[in-house]
Amino acid sequence: MKTILGLMKFTGAITIDTKSVTENDHHALSNVGALIEHPAIYPFLTGCQNLELYAREKADLNNLVSTLGMKSYINNKSKGYSLGMKQKLGIAIALLNHPKLVILDEPMNGLDIEATIAVRKLIKQYADQGTAFLISSHVLSELQKVMTKVVLISSGKIIVNQEIEKFNEISRRKYKVITENNEAAMRILQNNSIAYSLQDDYLTVNSQDIFQIQDELFEHQIHLEEMAPIEANFEQIVVNILDKERG
Amino acid sequence: MVYSIKQELYKLAHRKITWISAILLLFLMVFTGFAMAEDTKKLVLALTYDSSDFIMFILVIVGATSFSMEFQNNAILTLLYKSANKIEVYLSKYLAIFIYDLFLHVLAIFYTVTLRYTIFRSNVDWNTIYLYHQPIWANMLTASAIDVVTTMLIITIVFLLSCLINSNAIVITVSLLVTFMGQGISSDLTRRQMLVGIMKWNPFNMVNLTRQYGNYITYVITTHLSNLQLLLGSLIYIIIFFIIGYLIFRKKRF
Repeated sequence: MKTILGLMKFTGAITIDTKSVTENDHHALSNVGALIEHPAIYPFLTGCQNLELYAREKADLNNLVSTLGMKSYINNKSKGYSLGMKQKLGIAIALLNHPKLVILDEPMNGLDIEATIAVRKLIKQYADQGTAFLISSHVLSELQKVMTKVVLISSGKIIVNQEIEKFNEISRRKYKVITENNEAAMRILQNNSIAYSLQDDYLTVNSQDIFQIQDELFEHQIHLEEMAPIEANFEQIVVNILDKERG
Repeated sequence: MVYSIKQELYKLAHRKITWISAILLLFLMVFTGFAMAEDTKKLVLALTYDSSDFIMFILVIVGATSFSMEFQNNAILTLLYKSANKIEVYLSKYLAIFIYDLFLHVLAIFYTVTLRYTIFRSNVDWNTIYLYHQPIWANMLTASAIDVVTTMLIITIVFLLSCLINSNAIVITVSLLVTFMGQGISSDLTRRQMLVGIMKWNPFNMVNLTRQYGNYITYVITTHLSNLQLLLGSLIYIIIFFIIGYLIFRKKRF
């Protein structure tokens, strides 16, 4: 993220809107907002003054202040702010001046539930208006609620770069099957060389076999009680992919 | 660039130290006024109640914290990516301090004129011919203009040190040592007759510029340079130290 913002030495090329970014030329970043590592806040300024330092429009500033619920303390000196207040101010700074790209590093750090929801809403609102977001976070469940594309990086290498719909398909590769007679069902699957595994009181099968399974069970007059995709949780999928990658 | 300078001035204007220093300057000048002997009335006016040393002190502290506040408040990354390039960041900070420097000198002149007619009712006429066959008012303006150069030399060094050393306490200490002990170091360096020709051009010697303007006979013995030479030397060192400081800032990792 620091590299995209031209803050580190790098090899290769970075272009934003066809303009290239180098370590010493940040002209391409005029429409980019970012919150990297820690919010950049001067303690001797009030929250409002911290925003005024970068804001081009007063209306935009006021809108962010009210959406993020900062009105009650925005005119106080920011040295007295809590971690969450500073974080919100940092996010507001990143979203000032209608950026086309916003880079957020751990945006939900220190935020309470209400603030987390407000930030999530704001991200969606800006994204709907055409702003692209690049968010990094260790709290995957939080990311899951806003992301539309997944980029997984391990040891500096991109190992997954997919739209969220495609990525989610991975999570539906297994189905849970419960029949009125699991013993008999298992024999049928065995005879037809269909892969399965027995969990406590149900069978796990591959998604591509579900139609064949239904046909075979119908033929042998065994009724289905349940057949549903097993939603693997996001964290588990990520861990599995990373494990596979590391061998 | 103008926008960056405005941002720096905005930060400067909202820091307490900026305004407390301006008030402190008045108290220190009043203190000097009481401490100086009767026969130095003209000199006191020409050198604006010895404000140059106080302004130097203020600028070292404000200048050293100009970079350290960015590091301490994690603002340096935001400042850098929002600026077109690193020279814009470095130069805008430098110019903001330069403007503050000018402000302090104008303020010192204003204080001097005010004190001359109020607390220290002096009978010295502004048109009295004094140093370099010029009236006192001209001496005062020249000394202030020269002092802007001397102070900017120190500020350039402060900026260089700020990029080299992360602790602003060390930067302030070293800068004050250069400012107030530079004269001693320089006179040591120029003690050996053989090396005077080269050593008189050492940067510590240039710090004597304002002092020599006010007390030419006393200082020229140790500086071995004329006022004009000191002025040119200072300007050249400002350029050299500015370039070195910027190169260090450019290479610095954040």
